[in-house]
Amino acid sequence: MTRLPPRPGEIIGRTRSVDFSWNGRRVSGFEGDTIASALTAAGVRVVSRSMKYRRPRGYMTNDYWDPNALVQVGDEPNVRSAHRLIEPGMAVEAQNVWPSLERDLRAVTGPASRFLTPGFYYKTFMRPRWLWPTYEKVLATFSPGGRIDLDTPHRYHDKRYIHPDVVVAGGGPAGMAAAIAGAEAGARVLLVEHFHRLGGHLLWGDDSDRALAGELVAEVADAGVEVLTDSTVTGRYEDNWIAIAQRNHPVAVERLIKARAKVLVVAPGLIERPYVFAGNDKPGVMLSGAVRRFVNLYGVRPGAAAVVFTANPEGDAAAADLERAEADVTVLDARRGENIVRALGRGKSIKAVEVADGRRLECDLLVTATGWTAPTSLLNMSGDRPVYDEVATRFFPSAPIGNVLVAGGLAGDGTHEQLIEHARTTGRLAAARARSVAYSLQAATARAKAVSGSQPGWPTDTRRSLPRHPHPPLFRSATHGLVDFSEDVSSKDMLGAADEGYDSVELLKRYTTATMGPSQGKLETVNTVAVLAEALGRTIGEVGTTVWRPPYAPITMGGLGGPMYEPVRVSSIQPWHEANGAVFMLAGQWIRPDHYGDPSGEVLNTRRNVGIMDVTPLGKFDLRGPDVPKLLNHLYINKWMKLPVGSVRYGIMCTEEGVVLDDGVTARLGDHHYMMTTTSSGTASVWEWAENWLQTEFPDWQVHITPVTSGFTSINVAGPESRTLVRRLTMDVNLDPAAFKYMQVRTGTVAGVPDCFMWRIGFTGELSFEIHVPAGYGLHVWEALLEAGEDLRVRPFGVEGQRIMRLEKGHFIVGQDTDGLTKLPALGMAHLLKLDKHDFVGKPELLWALADTSAPVLVGIQPTDPSIVPDEAGQIVRPGTDEIIGRITSSRMSPTLGRSICLGQVLPEASKAGSELTVLMTDGRRITARVMAHHAHFDPEGERVRG
Amino acid sequence: MADIPTFESTVPAPYVSYAGVPMESGRPDSPLTLRDVSSVTKSIVRAGPETKACHRLSTPFGAARTEDGVLIIGQRPDEWVLTGHGSAIRALTESLDRSGHISIIDGTHNSAIFRLTGAGAASVLEKLCSLDWRDLMTPDGAAVSGSVAHVTCDIVRNDQDITPSYLISCDRSYGQYLFAVILDAGHEFGISPLDMLA
Repeated sequence: MTRLPPRPGEIIGRTRSVDFSWNGRRVSGFEGDTIASALTAAGVRVVSRSMKYRRPRGYMTNDYWDPNALVQVGDEPNVRSAHRLIEPGMAVEAQNVWPSLERDLRAVTGPASRFLTPGFYYKTFMRPRWLWPTYEKVLATFSPGGRIDLDTPHRYHDKRYIHPDVVVAGGGPAGMAAAIAGAEAGARVLLVEHFHRLGGHLLWGDDSDRALAGELVAEVADAGVEVLTDSTVTGRYEDNWIAIAQRNHPVAVERLIKARAKVLVVAPGLIERPYVFAGNDKPGVMLSGAVRRFVNLYGVRPGAAAVVFTANPEGDAAAADLERAEADVTVLDARRGENIVRALGRGKSIKAVEVADGRRLECDLLVTATGWTAPTSLLNMSGDRPVYDEVATRFFPSAPIGNVLVAGGLAGDGTHEQLIEHARTTGRLAAARARSVAYSLQAATARAKAVSGSQPGWPTDTRRSLPRHPHPPLFRSATHGLVDFSEDVSSKDMLGAADEGYDSVELLKRYTTATMGPSQGKLETVNTVAVLAEALGRTIGEVGTTVWRPPYAPITMGGLGGPMYEPVRVSSIQPWHEANGAVFMLAGQWIRPDHYGDPSGEVLNTRRNVGIMDVTPLGKFDLRGPDVPKLLNHLYINKWMKLPVGSVRYGIMCTEEGVVLDDGVTARLGDHHYMMTTTSSGTASVWEWAENWLQTEFPDWQVHITPVTSGFTSINVAGPESRTLVRRLTMDVNLDPAAFKYMQVRTGTVAGVPDCFMWRIGFTGELSFEIHVPAGYGLHVWEALLEAGEDLRVRPFGVEGQRIMRLEKGHFIVGQDTDGLTKLPALGMAHLLKLDKHDFVGKPELLWALADTSAPVLVGIQPTDPSIVPDEAGQIVRPGTDEIIGRITSSRMSPTLGRSICLGQVLPEASKAGSELTVLMTDGRRITARVMAHHAHFDPEGERVRG
Repeated sequence: MADIPTFESTVPAPYVSYAGVPMESGRPDSPLTLRDVSSVTKSIVRAGPETKACHRLSTPFGAARTEDGVLIIGQRPDEWVLTGHGSAIRALTESLDRSGHISIIDGTHNSAIFRLTGAGAASVLEKLCSLDWRDLMTPDGAAVSGSVAHVTCDIVRNDQDITPSYLISCDRSYGQYLFAVILDAGHEFGISPLDMLA
């Protein structure tokens, strides 16, 4: 047991123990413990295996970036155990070990490491190619990820869009000071801290550090700063679009915050850099910060006999912390020229350290404090290219852009007072610059509150630069060790890659995969550059660094996706459909009744009696203005200048290429008032198409187009008894055949609802009335029709019934019976084409298309065997060959005719009535079918529809 | 022949959030409420900048103001939405000079309108829409258009006394979805659905 007596700054609650399991074994910790601190307190030293060589690994950095800390928690893989807090009952397991963490048989790759050089995979598994499936299976078992359970229930992920004046990335002393000053200067500030609480390194510091942290935290609260802890600024994009992953949301697993900040202050502190030497990945080798966090935050002593190799005050402080924790401590001071050579020991822990002067020091803990990596990630994303400082031995920003400011260790060194004063100045500068940006935004936005005063100037940066403290250049010892712990890439691998010619750090990175593992360069970037510089005989500054890209910290796919909001549309009759057994289908975003249990029965009832259908999704546009006929004339292939008031006309629209775009009917309701309908799926594109012509080519035409699809509930009443039924509910409209003819429109009162309009058209091929009711009363009219027509055997029919009836009637559907190449003549509708019009969309191409005798044409088709329904999209081939000459576009069993019927596109040579076709079925059969004289299989003369 | 029926709400009770959580009808004095107010009369007026109607409405694009009980919303360039009681709307539209190219369309049934009211209303919108809901950028009387949970909506800040309130309008067919989504987003803030006012 290595749990220490209570420490003054610890953040665990010792009065509440928390039980969880580790690899099936019960472990106890305290509230506030991370998995790492609880396991270490319980004596666990090995928590994972390395990716390639399966070497045992223990905690090294003891924070979010620890490359050895990924574990499986329940069904969640890749949990960062040095960050995740323990919860009662949590099941924690080592991930991707086989058969166990203690004995991973794949560790046999370790002795072969000398052969597993960079590029080994690329070079080895290329040949023989037929073995690749086997290679793939074996290599997949080495994948470092955890176990994904495909049955994991989807959990709630959230999103939030905010527009703060200032976002401060990093809640250490500098970040807090900047946030406080910014807020006190009047800015709305969002402070984002990666750890579970504010304070940064002050949290694991001495009494004065913690006191300072406490003061700053109190000031943050007083200043009204919005604080997000356990959250990370994961990316900075154009115009300060900031992505923040919030992991501790009360109701969501994770929340992605998209913040449009006027100014970003980058104050993430520094990340401690590992040292490269033989055995540097063995359990028991830790960085100084890791030790300080274990001891001071969690009251855990990570070793009893420690060697501390230090080059800076943090290392010195770690040694002092261990001494206070009653560990045996030996200090090796790099500033005095001391150095370490290798860590010794196998299995669970190191046993000793070999020192450069030849000594061998027995220990179970080796602590290194050899320098810092500046996490310049957000600056990289802002376009900055950091530069290396040979004295401070780390990278610094070069020239960040004006709405991105830097504070804290990223900007320089100094006393707490110096760093905090610099940060406060940064916060005030950020607030001032945010005011200038806000003024511009407000002044440019009509709806915003009116601005007062003149535009504030862009404040200049008058901050005094922070000093840079010298630090020994410690990257690699005399031996080789790991540079990238996530990817098992050693300094020896990197020198070999450099020998192969990879002399650019960007290429070296991709070839060796150094910096490409889960820690994404946080720990290994500087060492990677340093080793390459050593190989090339150049300076680190000359080699330069890699470019850090988003995300700075991982975000789950769920977090990126956010809540699964998928819009759907319903008509006002939806409650009735739901209550009356409708089986629904999704048509675009519309939820529509496909049928009510018996689509064939619905067809027969409509043919014999009367049926009603909810056709609300039919696109509807209110067109007003004196130039509407000009617009219709331009968009449709037929003529519209003389459509009488009260009449309806069918039209087909084509693209400029002559391809069929949409079809529908348009009614003239008044002198300058028309109602246009489109296909349900074409509504949006037709609106855009019409507006595009109006706004770009004919801005002088006086036409207002208003979409009213949902404003009217549309009900198709079809069947021989439809007139009788509609008459029972309609006032002020003469429904006699002579007074209200086929393809006419009337406006009247239906079931007490005024301002309904109805027209006589017939997609089903039956006498039918399409009634359009103001949507707030749609359900009422629907129910009234059902009640009034009970004795007429009125029944609803769904989309499937309509599809069958329209196919029986031979009506094509744009997008089903046509495709992106189908031009008007192919539909057999060339008679609608009015080439004597001055101009219309597609006219030149249609002139060509009319002369084209090679394009497929749409024909009615009936299989020889009436019981066989060919598959839609089934290929039509030339008899006795596999040469494709067409395809079935629509097919159904017709309950009216008692046989299968189709529409299809075939080459002209096979399109004559009576031609015999061969249709391929998906089960491999070939069936014969015959081309019909008409598209219509039923009532080709149209007697019923005109009834 | 039946009388003119009651206007049907786009959101039939009982109310259920998008996540499937049943939600009880709340009281009007709840701190955060969502109510279907779709039955309000709406007129869409389209008139060019040269028309007298445009000058008469005198509400710029992006702003809304109330006149004689009618909320006049400058929803798009050369397009206004008038909402309010039917008689007040009629009085205003009948007073408009019809010279020039002008259209007046009854939009009552075309859209669903929900009123989101409460101190936390902006926090709910922040979860669903990327616009800036702070007072400076969208004060009382601001009219905006944007995507709310992937649905195109028109939103008007129309405070109730001093309580922030937003009228969120979408195509009627999306109403049921949008209401459920707003309830879902507002769940963490204690949102209560209210029954539609007749």
